Amino acid sequence: MITLRLLGSMAAVILSLSLAPAAARAEPYLAVQQGYKCIACHVNPSGGGMRNTFGNIFAQNVLPANKIEVGDDSWTGAVNRFVMLGGDVRAGWTSTDIPHQKQSNEFDVSDARVYLNVEAIPDRLSVYLDERFAPGSATNLEAYARYWTADKAWFIRAGRMYLPFGLRLEDDTAFTRTVPGINMTTPDTGVEVGWESTHWSAQLALSNGSAGGPETDNGKQVTGQLVYVDPRWRVGLASSFNQSDAGDRAAYGLFGGLRTGPVAWLAEADLVVDQGFPEGTRNLVSALLEANWAVRSGHNLKLTAEWFDPDRDVNNDEQTRWSAVYEYSPMQFLQLRGGVRLYDGIPQNDLQNRTMFFLEVHGFF
Amino acid sequence: MTAIRKTWGALCMLTQLAGCAGNGDGLDASGRPLSSGSGDNGVLTPDLASIQANVFTPICTQCHVGANAPQGLRLDAANSYGALVGVASSEQPGVLRVKPGDAAASYLIQKLEGRAAVGARMPLGQPALPASTILVIREWITSGASRGAVASAKTLAVQTVSVAATEVAIAMTQPVDASLVNATTVTLQRLDTISAEPVTIAAQLAVSPVNDTLIVLTPDQALTSGQYRLTLRGTGAAALAGWNADVIDGNGDGAPGGDYVQTLTIGGAP
Repeated sequence: MITLRLLGSMAAVILSLSLAPAAARAEPYLAVQQGYKCIACHVNPSGGGMRNTFGNIFAQNVLPANKIEVGDDSWTGAVNRFVMLGGDVRAGWTSTDIPHQKQSNEFDVSDARVYLNVEAIPDRLSVYLDERFAPGSATNLEAYARYWTADKAWFIRAGRMYLPFGLRLEDDTAFTRTVPGINMTTPDTGVEVGWESTHWSAQLALSNGSAGGPETDNGKQVTGQLVYVDPRWRVGLASSFNQSDAGDRAAYGLFGGLRTGPVAWLAEADLVVDQGFPEGTRNLVSALLEANWAVRSGHNLKLTAEWFDPDRDVNNDEQTRWSAVYEYSPMQFLQLRGGVRLYDGIPQNDLQNRTMFFLEVHGFF
Repeated sequence: MTAIRKTWGALCMLTQLAGCAGNGDGLDASGRPLSSGSGDNGVLTPDLASIQANVFTPICTQCHVGANAPQGLRLDAANSYGALVGVASSEQPGVLRVKPGDAAASYLIQKLEGRAAVGARMPLGQPALPASTILVIREWITSGASRGAVASAKTLAVQTVSVAATEVAIAMTQPVDASLVNATTVTLQRLDTISAEPVTIAAQLAVSPVNDTLIVLTPDQALTSGQYRLTLRGTGAAALAGWNADVIDGNGDGAPGGDYVQTLTIGGAP
């Protein structure tokens, strides 16, 4: 029966690809749909990475269309009181159609990672590791020690971490992730202070500003964000300033979310002022608007519109990206995605006018 | 279905407020104004100028530019050569990003071909470069990864300095007279020592056999964390010069002469 349902669902995905005009993938919509803060489901207060106990329970009881019973106990990520494990694997097929070029397609493992969180002093002091095992050999993405105050209002962490800036979409190729340059491919090393209250969430980080590379100068990066979370809506401000020999770079972001019935909306607009370009300073702007329609339990249709202006001083160079993706969670800890992305840019650049189709299997725990 | 139409309609309407894709009028293929001189004839050839115009600038600099360039790797026209040729990869410090004469051992090629030991295939989130494009980049590296005309300067000067514990690579704007590269014209000194005086680092000096604009300083012992001073002599009888006997413009005044002095930091310097 499950096989038949799976086949039926795959057919639905393929059918949706033929009907929908545009794909992306993101997780913050779940927080907006449920009215949660990121820390409700993730170990990291700004989201992404390892799911906490509640996140694992949510993934079993709310996310999937069907739950396969496994007996009296279920996976919560906790090996014991002190140690938690988690992981994500994403594998799929991508087909790309670039004007004037032969269409290409490939299977690949885009991401395979394991998380380890050791609560040396439960709820107070922890050591966290995020290790990526594919593609390529093992690479450390996050490694930090974190201390929470007894009232769980403040924390401080030091080490290698993702910096807090805007909506932490899972899709790091979104314009609002690539343009500020602060995403899950560019963890940085430094120290971060955070504050959590009923409705507020704030982080402020001081880091090398080397975007994952070794420090090459004495300049540092200051990154922070402040988010207000209401059960139906949220709004946040983010900013970053990176002092570098390559040229200083400032980024400002305004982002938010809104739930209207079964649709969860996400929006973000970013302005980057970068002095590191050969000709001097450029002002870059990116924007994202995304609708996530919870068709029914375990089914989500995601429509995304993005806009990017690579240089405010140059006319006619803007780019857009339209995406549609259908996400289906047939059972706990498994998600199937299919989608299409339509890129639209200047006509003399074929790559800016490509179309990408993809199917993805996402297993996690 | 009505909900889909409403949602999609709202998305379209709101996005229209922001704007549409540009029509490209007055721009080259990289989206830069034609008057800026950044374009070329669009035909990819195995030289840096062509690779820059057809690959690095339009594709790689979507991320690899400015202060937040991933891994600190900036691939704009002003920085690509100095950041690539003879420079150790930050992901795989034992592998040079571009090893002149050896394409297969160059990390750039490994990343483009998807066989690097670390991380995803480049360009990230985009289709792999066509095999024919990678072949041209391979050819450029195999033939010595010359700077070519893209960054030629009127005077001999330092373009970039790249530092690793086992090697300091000094990219020059013009070919260097290898007979003048020695311990007198190129020195590396440790600054933050217990003694007040800088300590000269014993090292082998050479001009890359396949790239005559690249000076490679190989310390006898791996450099430890700390601050160092690199000096290229541009004054006196024993000054560094190019093949045309023009002395290095060390002080950056546009004219030959003057010492080039730069402080370098290795690792987490105390």
